[in-house]
Amino acid sequence: MVLILGGKGAGKRAYARSLGYREDQISTCPEDPVPVLCSLEELVRKDPENALSLVPSLLGKDVVICCEVGSGVIPISSQERFFREQTGRLCVLLAKEAKTVVRIVAGIPQILKGE
Amino acid sequence: MMILLIGGSGCGKSYYGEKICVSAPAPRYYLAAMQPYGEEGEKRIARHRAMRAGKGFETIERYRDYAALKLPSKGTALLECAANLTANEMFDDNGNQSDPVERVLSGVDALLPQCETLVVITNEIGSDGIVYSPSTTDYIRALGKINAALAEKADTVIEMAAGIPILLKGELPL
Repeated sequence: MVLILGGKGAGKRAYARSLGYREDQISTCPEDPVPVLCSLEELVRKDPENALSLVPSLLGKDVVICCEVGSGVIPISSQERFFREQTGRLCVLLAKEAKTVVRIVAGIPQILKGE
Repeated sequence: MMILLIGGSGCGKSYYGEKICVSAPAPRYYLAAMQPYGEEGEKRIARHRAMRAGKGFETIERYRDYAALKLPSKGTALLECAANLTANEMFDDNGNQSDPVERVLSGVDALLPQCETLVVITNEIGSDGIVYSPSTTDYIRALGKINAALAEKADTVIEMAAGIPILLKGELPL
């Protein structure tokens, strides 16, 4: 699995397409039978408590795309704080198992793991 | 030797910082700057305590004024974290605001000669583009300034993303 991280609008989907995936192969729902899952942070937002249990199904994907959400002011709302931390922790777990981890900054891929 | 670890929430900073300290000589001190506010704060502290259990850390809780801290003996210290310390130095218990930059930096300056290895954890908080209240904006600026000054002092600066260390300065310790 290739994990693609980066801020909003950084060029993560475009990078997935550059790997050869078409737009119709990208979905936001892990059950969809397509190789690329995007907007992982929105899945976490729906159910932060159980976010880490998504790992097995995500490891079955070719590519997982997630927004980095932890680099702003610590939110006042505890729910928002929990969402950010669970997104971060889920990405730590996925990165451990991923073959490749890429972070996109201004459209430029920075390889954090693998090739 | 000083190592600065920077990253967002849940990026694995604490875990990596502890790993560095465990590979460095004892005694090991965990310098806890976070004030336990409410149930969530206590949970977070309990989680960090559980992570450190059995790793040979002596915990020193101190929310302000590291300039006056005398460590029992020279060893390894993990300061967690500069973002909490900055908030504590900036706002007193009555909510009065003052400039924290000098106090945070002089605190770290006082720790350095007392440690063989000092690991400082800090947060990246200036990248969300949201307009905050003037005091929060002051806090963001102060922490940005402090982070830059700490990076200047540090031998090694590492950004963490998804548990993976990204070297910004110096050499990876592990």
